[in-house]
Amino acid sequence: MGDLNTIAIVLVVILVSMTIALSVFSRRFTRTTADFYLAGRKVGSFSNASAISGDYLSAASFLGVAAAVYASGLDGVWYAAGFAGGFMVVVFFIASPLRRFGEYTVPDFAYGRFGTNRMRLVSVVGVLATCLFYMAPQMYGAGTTWKVLVGSGLFGMDAYNTGVVVVGLIIMLYVAVGGMKGTTLNQIVQFWWLAFAMILTLLFVTFGGVQNTAKGDLMRFNYAEYLQTESDGYLMAPGTLTVAELEDPAVYSQVEIAMTEATKNNAGAATLEEEMAKIDAAMAAGAPDDTVNVVVFQKNKLHQLKNDLLGTEDALKFNQPGARYDAFGQFSMVLALVLGTAGLPHILNRYYTNPSGSAARRSTFWVLVFIGVFYILSPMVGLAGRSMVRAAVDSGHAPATADYVGGLLVKSDALMPTIAQIAGGEILMGIVAAGAFAAMFSTLAGLLIASASSVGHDVYEKYINPNATEKQKVFVGKSAVVFFAMLAILIGYLIPATGLNTAYPALIAMMVTWAFAVGAGAFVPMLMTGIWWKGTTERGAIAGMLVGGGGSVIIIFMNMFKALTIIPADATGIVGFLAGLSFPTLFTFPAAVLAIIIVSKLDGQLPKNVDEIWMRIHGNAHERWEKEHGLDKVSGLFDKGTK
Amino acid sequence: MATPPSNEATMTSTYIRHGDHVDTIESVDVVFRAQRKLSFTYGAVFFAVTLAVPAMTVAIEGWWETTIWGGFTANYLFISLLYYIFLWTMAWTFSKKADRLDEDLAKMADKITADAAAAVTGSEG
Repeated sequence: MGDLNTIAIVLVVILVSMTIALSVFSRRFTRTTADFYLAGRKVGSFSNASAISGDYLSAASFLGVAAAVYASGLDGVWYAAGFAGGFMVVVFFIASPLRRFGEYTVPDFAYGRFGTNRMRLVSVVGVLATCLFYMAPQMYGAGTTWKVLVGSGLFGMDAYNTGVVVVGLIIMLYVAVGGMKGTTLNQIVQFWWLAFAMILTLLFVTFGGVQNTAKGDLMRFNYAEYLQTESDGYLMAPGTLTVAELEDPAVYSQVEIAMTEATKNNAGAATLEEEMAKIDAAMAAGAPDDTVNVVVFQKNKLHQLKNDLLGTEDALKFNQPGARYDAFGQFSMVLALVLGTAGLPHILNRYYTNPSGSAARRSTFWVLVFIGVFYILSPMVGLAGRSMVRAAVDSGHAPATADYVGGLLVKSDALMPTIAQIAGGEILMGIVAAGAFAAMFSTLAGLLIASASSVGHDVYEKYINPNATEKQKVFVGKSAVVFFAMLAILIGYLIPATGLNTAYPALIAMMVTWAFAVGAGAFVPMLMTGIWWKGTTERGAIAGMLVGGGGSVIIIFMNMFKALTIIPADATGIVGFLAGLSFPTLFTFPAAVLAIIIVSKLDGQLPKNVDEIWMRIHGNAHERWEKEHGLDKVSGLFDKGTK
Repeated sequence: MATPPSNEATMTSTYIRHGDHVDTIESVDVVFRAQRKLSFTYGAVFFAVTLAVPAMTVAIEGWWETTIWGGFTANYLFISLLYYIFLWTMAWTFSKKADRLDEDLAKMADKITADAAAAVTGSEG
């Protein structure tokens, strides 16, 4: 690890410079809070769709999806499909009514719909919880990407923490300076950069190919053929065992069998003897608690019972489901991803930047096209990586910036930069590394704007200083950006400090799914019922948010505590059951909806002006008036500030 | 019919007015019901298809085990490619239908405004 990649660093510096330049440029056009938080509400469908896609495609999508497919086969593909499917809930149920209601933030909607300060404040807490959960994987991605790309730290910090601090400070600078206009511009550029990086990587592996010098042939990616090849054998995955565990002859024998499978087609460096020699050396040198990288057969978690009953082999193939999830997990993960998108405050805030409800729907359609293409390509790169990384290791020219065992990457999250370097050398690696930073920047920027608007707009402007001048409001918004950027840096630091990074095999994807689960529990039931059921009361909505959002946070922390062995692995009863839930949405979402319905029915106290609220959500007189006066037109992002 | 300043909204419990454009609770309710039917019908189809995938993955062996093209099983092909075509088609047709409902509301509201104006003119005459 740790070779300096000069071209990659130059490309990342170009991206960062461009980002800051755009923010400074946008500063001239950010005069009011509507400009700072909403880019003046006049962003066109195509631009908004690009920006939403940039906002949405985070490190989890750019690095995590291909990595998940690489590590887990079909179950990893579900991440891509689930991430895309989430926008259907947005377009069917939420986009247009939310925009018509015409506020700044989700807590604004909650206040406007239910009419109490208590409702707004509970929503602010929900926004902050969701945003902080979503910041965590971005910051972790920042640290790990810096580690792969640069390999060394600055000012006495290690490489990981340097990445966290540098990314945190850059985002803080460009969001505070450029506001939503600068962020929107940057997200557009960043989305197209990372889309370009993904397309280019696929073009390189498909048409350029990878030379397998050990076997003397040129490998060119072909989807159906590669899927066939990878599915012929069993799905192997990297794992770790302690030296003490490996000293058990039965365990050692299993490792040897797995390693035989992993290296059976190798012709070059990574032969069985060499791999076992590495394990033997690690065992000889290590203390009993030291861990050793090994490869293991992926068990079929989905059809395990059937396999056990029939006595058949329960190892899994690449094109089969069950590497990650059992039956419960399959449904729960799909629901978390599909419902969670509609509960992400930084995505929902972007809908207020559309000029109309109809434009909000159009934006969502384009988002689906953009991210759909991206999510079709990403699993292809993940699949290509299986064969091509193995061939590179076999041929002895795999990048030294990553660790390998049995021809597999030890950390699958390093797949994108690794396959880029194998297929396209330093330049492609640089474009991909800059793409990874673009993904982190764009998502973190959206999260910072959402968090800052919750504090600056929803708390400061409404409760602390309602008579604030525009200048004071914008100043508080920028101060909130600085505060949350610092908090993001702290979260990034705490992840390895608490040992979370070693407790989960694919942490980035896992943490993103947690954020989705919190959003799905806290906001989606409240938004769905608030928009589509007039009988929803304030108390009902709060009950739903507490059950859905609060329940999700509690279960996720219990799951973390179990992974960190604070809760024993063999815990039983309700604690054991809840701590074992990786994705709580299957329980928390219906529980939240039920809580809203029951409490609303018992409460029965509708806002006095419920009909007016209904007409704001579902009527379009305002839009027709704007159309008549030509105000529905999309203005340039560079118009001189919103009046 | 008196017309308020065109950039101000007037709102009562039964109608909302922006300039000459009026939504009444009755007209909004009619369109709301149509919109709700449209949204929940599309939503039901979307969730049925989306949840059918893990359901078939659990229950139907041929769905996830039998290859149909190269290494593609029906399960793999659907999730990695066909699902997106399904999403795009649903989102496009939904948006078009929802736009038509918006137009219906506009026509309905224009008629209400025109009728009210005619009634005022008639009483003055």
